[in-house]
Amino acid sequence: MRVVIAEDLALLRDGLQRLLRDNGFEVLAAVRDADSLLREIDAHKPDIAVVDIRLPPDFRDEGLRAAIEARKRSPDTAILVVSQYVEQAYARELLADGRGGVGYLLKDRILHVVEFVEAVRRVAEGGTALDPEVVAHLFSSQSAGGPLERLTPREQEVLSLMAEGRSNQGIADALVLTVGAVEKHIASIFSKLDLPQSGVDHRRVLAVLAYLQAPS
Amino acid sequence: MWSRLFGKQAWEEAIFLLSAAPLGTLWFSILVTAWSLGLGLLVTPLVIPIALGMPFLITASAGLEAALARRLIGTRVYPPHAAFLRGGFWRRAFGWLTEPAMWRAQAYLLLRFVLGFPFAIGMGTLLGLSIGGLAAPFYYWSLNGGIKMDAWHVDTLPEALLLTLAGAAGLVITMLLFRLLARPQRALAEELLERSPDPADKTPRPSIPQRRQALVARAASFGFAFTVLVAIWALTGHGYFWPVWPLLALLLALGLQAWRLFADENSEHWQHPGLNHSIAVQAGSSAMVFLFLVGVWAASGGGTFWPVWPLLGLTITVLARAGTLYFSPPGQEELTQRIDVLTTTRAGAVDQQEAELRRIERDLHDGAQARLVALGMSIGMAEQKLSEDPEGARELLEEARAGAGQALRELRDLARGIHPPVLADRGLEAAVTALADGSPLRVHVHTEIPQRPSAPVESAAYFVVAETLANAGKHSKAARVDIRIIRDGDMLTVEVADDGKGGADTTGSGLAGLRRRVEALDGTLRVASPAGGPTLVRAEMPCG
Repeated sequence: MRVVIAEDLALLRDGLQRLLRDNGFEVLAAVRDADSLLREIDAHKPDIAVVDIRLPPDFRDEGLRAAIEARKRSPDTAILVVSQYVEQAYARELLADGRGGVGYLLKDRILHVVEFVEAVRRVAEGGTALDPEVVAHLFSSQSAGGPLERLTPREQEVLSLMAEGRSNQGIADALVLTVGAVEKHIASIFSKLDLPQSGVDHRRVLAVLAYLQAPS
Repeated sequence: MWSRLFGKQAWEEAIFLLSAAPLGTLWFSILVTAWSLGLGLLVTPLVIPIALGMPFLITASAGLEAALARRLIGTRVYPPHAAFLRGGFWRRAFGWLTEPAMWRAQAYLLLRFVLGFPFAIGMGTLLGLSIGGLAAPFYYWSLNGGIKMDAWHVDTLPEALLLTLAGAAGLVITMLLFRLLARPQRALAEELLERSPDPADKTPRPSIPQRRQALVARAASFGFAFTVLVAIWALTGHGYFWPVWPLLALLLALGLQAWRLFADENSEHWQHPGLNHSIAVQAGSSAMVFLFLVGVWAASGGGTFWPVWPLLGLTITVLARAGTLYFSPPGQEELTQRIDVLTTTRAGAVDQQEAELRRIERDLHDGAQARLVALGMSIGMAEQKLSEDPEGARELLEEARAGAGQALRELRDLARGIHPPVLADRGLEAAVTALADGSPLRVHVHTEIPQRPSAPVESAAYFVVAETLANAGKHSKAARVDIRIIRDGDMLTVEVADDGKGGADTTGSGLAGLRRRVEALDGTLRVASPAGGPTLVRAEMPCG
């Protein structure tokens, strides 16, 4: 799997490079600003770009803007945005085009190497990876007494893991359930929230996110 | 009409005017005693304790007067700020002598006697007579020979009822006068005491043509009222021409209003050295008051020409103000006040920054730094165990990773508290919306920010919302919060209102810190949080 990295801090840039290489990725380029990132994406058409939000020259949200731009220019390149902090607004902007192949994670998640690598793979394959903090926020902003409260606690757990972008297998592993049990929970959630059933994992996740982001 | 003449406000204004009799006398005796003692003992060391005590005496007296004026006639005035009560010995003893506010306060206290006393006595008499007349049917029979009104003896019921009618008319006029006299009193208090810097309070003045119409209408109604009184006088058998008293009062009210209008209409007349518009208003009004007192003197049968004393007081006040204006460069006093304000707010800002830095240092020391030490220790021990106890080493590394995650979280919260990234990236609206999203309360955000204010103003506005929203969530049991952020020209207004139980501690460290932060930007922060709610916090900051 072919990767481009954009991170301005040398320490983290080298660390990410080594981590991804050790886990079987082919790192095509590791750059330190948004312009070089767009150039490398144009040149290599990688499977995925891992991008820090804060990049030179202003250290604001250059990475995010570059990521959104890259998705327009090179629709086949998935984007995983990493940052020291998460903002709802940024998650919304990243997910706005309603396509998969996008992720938004705190840099903290890199500490759990196995899960992080799994998330990079998932996003590269067209899935999503949304930070648990963003998901928790989406849940807490749902109005009290809304349809979410009709879900059982276990179904809520399944829903938040789904919103994070995990596959059925991933959810089953995390909650120590069988895949069959997870599928049953998901069917029940979809009928309680009145969402259209869909066979494909990614589509389902996007439907859930659209549901959670809708103004309540 | 009834509530305007006899409502709570009317009686409060009456009480304020009447309070001039006891209070004015008190201030007069205090000031005269203190000054004559001080001047008499000027060359002896005994002057020192008197000089030290005077500012306290003056601020305390003016403080009581200001509180009365705020409570009863609804002006936002305050006693002189006691800045000169701090500092070195000589500054404490004599610094107040150079403070214009202290002289104005003393002038106010004196005028409460010189002007207030005669008015209080006159109006008190009028009020007493009116009530006496009103109640005539209840007691005329108990007096031997009836109620004596000069030549007229009220000793039958119809006569008593006529007197009641006159009393009622008198009461209406008295209350009308109380209401009319409240305005010059308010103006006097605002002129001589310190006004609160409260731009929200300003009600637009009516235009000149509107005021001219109002004056004509008032003159007509006074003419009518006076005719009624004369008719009553004529009906009740002539005798002493008592309508002269209300006539004098009505003429004074009319004269003051007319002069004020004239002064405002011809504002270009007052552009001379030692003269400005407000001194012109004061001089003309003083002349009116003097004429009124002469009228009182004449109507009460002459004798010693006592109005010369108030005339002296009024003239000195006008001359003193004109002299100050003539000799001090324009704007001097405003500049001095401005420097005082800047000194205070800068000190507040520095304190605030100092406290903030201390908090950050403490958070770093107890949080992330300590965690990194523990992290290093875990990794060190894991290194030792690696060969003989790989399982133990794995556990230690797991701990180390958890510690690193915790340290990251703490640092992130700390950074957010210093300057939230989304504020710099996306501006106030996005940042406040993010706050609202994260709040457990139902928050409604309304913003009109056509142009981004400067970063310090944005950041102060953000923290006003963050802090008050957090307070609303923690203490107020509010269900709904309304946030309004509006930029109107060069002024940014931030309002946070909740429907909670109120009673917020406005001196608590959170709000005090916010206030210092806003004041450092030349803004104002006001908190209204009566027990029982609701709470409204409003910050206004210039952002040009």
